[in-house]
Formats: sequence, C-alpha cells, structure tokens
Amino acid sequence: MTKAKILDIAHISFLDMIKSIITLSGPASAKGLLIRNALATAEKIEEVEYSSLEKYIAAIEDASNPITRIEGITTHCGGMVFGLEKCPFEGSINSYKKVFKDMPEGYASFTAEFNKSSPITNKYRVGEGAGVSPFCSVHQPLRSAIANKIKIGGKSISISQLGCKSASGIKGIAQKWLNESGISLDKVDKILENNMCCYHMKIKDD
Amino acid sequence: MTATSIEKMKRILVVDDEEDMLWMLQRKLNKNMTDVEILAARSGEEALEVLATTKVDLVITDINMPGINGLDLLIQIKALYPHTGVMIMTAYPSSVYKDKAMTNGGLRFIEKPFDIHELREQVQEVLSRNEQFRGVVDGIELLDIVQFNGLSKSTSVLRVKTGEIEGMIFFKDGAVIHAMCEHETGEEAFYKIIAFQGGTIENMRGVESPMVSIRKNIDALLIEGAARTDKSNFASDSGKQEINPKPNAQRHNRIFEESPVNIQAIAEKTIPSEEKKMNKIEEILSEFTNIEGVHTACLVGRDGFLLNHIARQNVDPEMVGAIASSGFGSAYSMGDQLGQGDLTMTMIEYENGPVMFAPVGAEAFLVIIADKETNLGWVRLSIKKNSKTIALNVSL
Repeated sequence: MTKAKILDIAHISFLDMIKSIITLSGPASAKGLLIRNALATAEKIEEVEYSSLEKYIAAIEDASNPITRIEGITTHCGGMVFGLEKCPFEGSINSYKKVFKDMPEGYASFTAEFNKSSPITNKYRVGEGAGVSPFCSVHQPLRSAIANKIKIGGKSISISQLGCKSASGIKGIAQKWLNESGISLDKVDKILENNMCCYHMKIKDD
Repeated sequence: MTATSIEKMKRILVVDDEEDMLWMLQRKLNKNMTDVEILAARSGEEALEVLATTKVDLVITDINMPGINGLDLLIQIKALYPHTGVMIMTAYPSSVYKDKAMTNGGLRFIEKPFDIHELREQVQEVLSRNEQFRGVVDGIELLDIVQFNGLSKSTSVLRVKTGEIEGMIFFKDGAVIHAMCEHETGEEAFYKIIAFQGGTIENMRGVESPMVSIRKNIDALLIEGAARTDKSNFASDSGKQEINPKPNAQRHNRIFEESPVNIQAIAEKTIPSEEKKMNKIEEILSEFTNIEGVHTACLVGRDGFLLNHIARQNVDPEMVGAIASSGFGSAYSMGDQLGQGDLTMTMIEYENGPVMFAPVGAEAFLVIIADKETNLGWVRLSIKKNSKTIALNVSL
C-alpha cells in the first residue's frame, strides 16, 4: 500500500486566505494588503552590491542573488531581459489543485484590480496587464522592491515586469512597460513560450 | 436715553421654563453691554407674544419646555421672523452640535451648563456682526430640524410639504422610527423627505407613530440622507427647476456654493497638471483640518496606498492608509454582500473621537480623523462639498 504524499497546509490555507481577504475587504484593499506585505518582506532583505553586470548575471543564473533566492533560477535572455522558468507559487497552486478541482473564487476580480494603473504599481513597474493571478501581486512587487536593495558597480537598478503566463498557458503582457523599456512584444512572447515570467532590468544613472 | 440710542438698542429674548436660569441670564447676560436689553419669556407661547409686539435681534431659547418647545419656537421664528437670530440651549450632549458649533455665522448651540462669560462673548460676537447674522433662521434646513428633534428627545411627527408632495417623519423619544412619503415608507421615505427643496414644516408633538419602519440611528440616517441628497443633486439635470428655492439659505449656500458640474465636460476642456491637482487636493484637505478638532485628513487609494495627506505629528499617514483601506474595504464589501449597494459614507466612533471614511470617485477615499468634540456636521458637509472636486483631481 502506497502512502499518499502529505501536502503543505500553508499552501492550501494561503490560497483560501487570499479568497477570504477579497471577500471581506474587496479586491482593491486585498491587492494593497498583498503588495504591502511583499514590500515589507523585501524590506528585510539585506543590501547587496555587484562589481559588474557579468557578476550580477552570474549570481542570477546560479540563484545566489537575493531575487533568485526567492523566485528561483532565472535566465538572461539578452538585452537585460530575464525569463523565469517556474512560477514561485507553482508548488502552492499544484498542492491546492491536488485537493480541490478549482482555484478559489474571486481571483479574476483581484487580478483585474492588480492590472489597473495605480501609483503603487507604477512605482514598482508591475501589473498593467502582466498580472495573471493574485500571486503576481505578491511576486512582481517583491522582486522590484528587492531590486532597490541591489547595486551594480555602485549604481542602483530597477526592474519592470514585461509579461507573465498563467498555469493554464494564458499570457499577460504589460504594454506600458514594454513601451518604456523598448523591448519588443515578439521577444517577450517568445520568452514566455519557455518561461512563466519575464522582466527587464535597467541600471540607473545615479 | 435719546431716541437714537433707543433705536440702536439691541434686544435679546431669553426663553426658558427654568426660573433660576431665566433670572440669571436676565441679570448677568448684558453686563457691560450698555446697548443690549434683555427680555425674558418663561415659555414658547410667551416668547411668541413678545416677538409679536417687539423687534428682537436674538432669541436664546432652551429646547425642552412644556407647551411650545424650543424647536416649535424655532420653526415659528423661521416662518414669521426670519431676520431674528436664534441660539439654542441644550442639556443634551451631541456628537454633532457642541457648544461652539456652527460658528461660521449660522445657528448657534450652547450646551448646558455653560459659562456665562462664554455665552456673553458669543452674544457680543453675534450682535457685533449683525449683518451676517441676519436671516440665518431662514437658512435652517430640514436636516437641522430633524436633528433638533433628536436632541430634544421628542415624541412627535414632522410634517413636511413641498408643492403637492407631503411627507411625515415620526420620532419616538428623539429616535426616528417611521417615515412615509407618497407610496413609500421607512428609510426610503425618510431620504425622500429630507431631499425636499423648500416647502412648509409643521412639528406636532405628542403624536405617536402608527408603526416602526426605521431602526437606524439618527446620525446614520442623516449622513446617508445628506449623501443621497448630494448625489441626487449632482446627477440631476443642470436645467432642473428647484421647487420653491430658498432665497436666503446663507449657511448652506456657503457650503454648497459649487453648482452641479459635468465632470466629463470639465475634464475634456482642461486637464490640469499633476502638480496643480495635488495642490488642489492639499487645499481641500486643509479645509478639513481647519475644522476645529479634525487633526488628520488623508486621501487614500482604494488599495490603501496614500495619495495625499495632512496629518498630526504623531500620526503615521502611511499606516492610516493601510489600516483605513481594510476598514473601508470591509464596510464597502459588507454593503455589497448584504445587498445594500455602494458605500456613501461611514463613521466609526472611538473613545478619543471618530474616524470617517467617504469614497471619492471610484479609485480613492477620504479618511478624516477627529477629536471627540468635533462638529461632525461640518465634516460631513465638507465631504459633500468637496468629494466631486477631489474625484476630479485624483488621477491614478
């Protein structure tokens, strides 16, 4: 007799908790709560500096960088565009789906709210169509906020979310951040064929 | 005394059924005021007799009196002597009307027990700017009268008629328990009645309500009613004729001096810069914090991130935004889940004072934090006055 694999209760509970927050306080407030939570997490990350872009990219690709330590191994696809093979919430989603047929209700309204322009999503260059689930409202601002803790050659960096792909394969694209970064839709579309998430990194002129 | 000096003489009529109070005011109120004569009446009936024969500049009346009470007297003065000022003395503390409430020139309230020096100062101030004070009684609205009925803890019916439409609001010990207007009863009838523009008001005391159709407290009814009236005025056609518009509603005209505007037309005509928009919002927020007792006014995105604020030193506005978003979101969701529709305004009272939330447009809301002595009527009216302008200037 084979024993069933024990699932992580935190995964199951977290997904239902998001649903409860949406129900109790509405998608806008829930969005703010998850983003604030992500920013608070990022705030706890220690600052790190790389002497060169090459060293930064190496750290990204071997997952020793603060960003990749949280979200997983990332590939530099050229032109400062990066692709993330797995969604960091994949484990949670899979666990939930092993128990329940459907994802919790209310996620669509939340995702629509996250994709709406707002001062906070503009500040961190996230959303704007690149959100495909509530998890994006945690993941994307978290990454952008961690980027504020990183310097390359003494200069600050910023990250813009270009696109994301849902577990069911639907792609979300942030045209606003594509336009700003000058990256083509075609390039992002191709990256998302083999990746779940795509972003652009810029070294700022401090 | 010469004829000229007699003409310049101001008259104050003090009305109270408490002999001691009447005696004290008659004796002490005009101390060092050589041009002020104090008249006294022990009842509303007696006051009306005096008013019928003597020109009176200011009436200071108690609310609770047997026979014609302070509210009835106020209504009579509104109808017969609109140029006479009125001060109301009340022993009932109210979150809305506190001692120096309505100090912008309108009707004044004095909370019993009061300091005679303070009352004297207020009287002197009122009489010294006689021009502004003129006609204030005519500026009293139905909302005020409903509130007075609440304050006086009366059991009565307020009968209001405008044009061909008539409505009745029933009070039981100061609580609004029933309303009827045309085919409607309950809260909807109440809101319909208080949205009347002008008309006649009759207050019949001692009349018991035939039924109980309203269980909401009076403050909540008034807030909702004011918000609905505002919404209705805003949505109405700009060419709509007001029913029997009031010529001298100074106090409220000052508050609602902005006419209903077409948001779209204005937005298309001119789009101000972000800086100008923020300056405008700051200007409006400062209007709130200029209300005595209001120490913090924040404009918050519905996601809880702060858009602009004026806050007391020990208040963390970012935290206000985050926490208020949860409270506002919950209140909003509750209305939605319970089928009560969109949230228009809400207030939570704490030991140290209230916190008020009001949506402005679809993307933001206002948070007003005040001390417990604050005149919430002013806050509510300022929200009504400014919410459209703020919504126009919020660009997310």
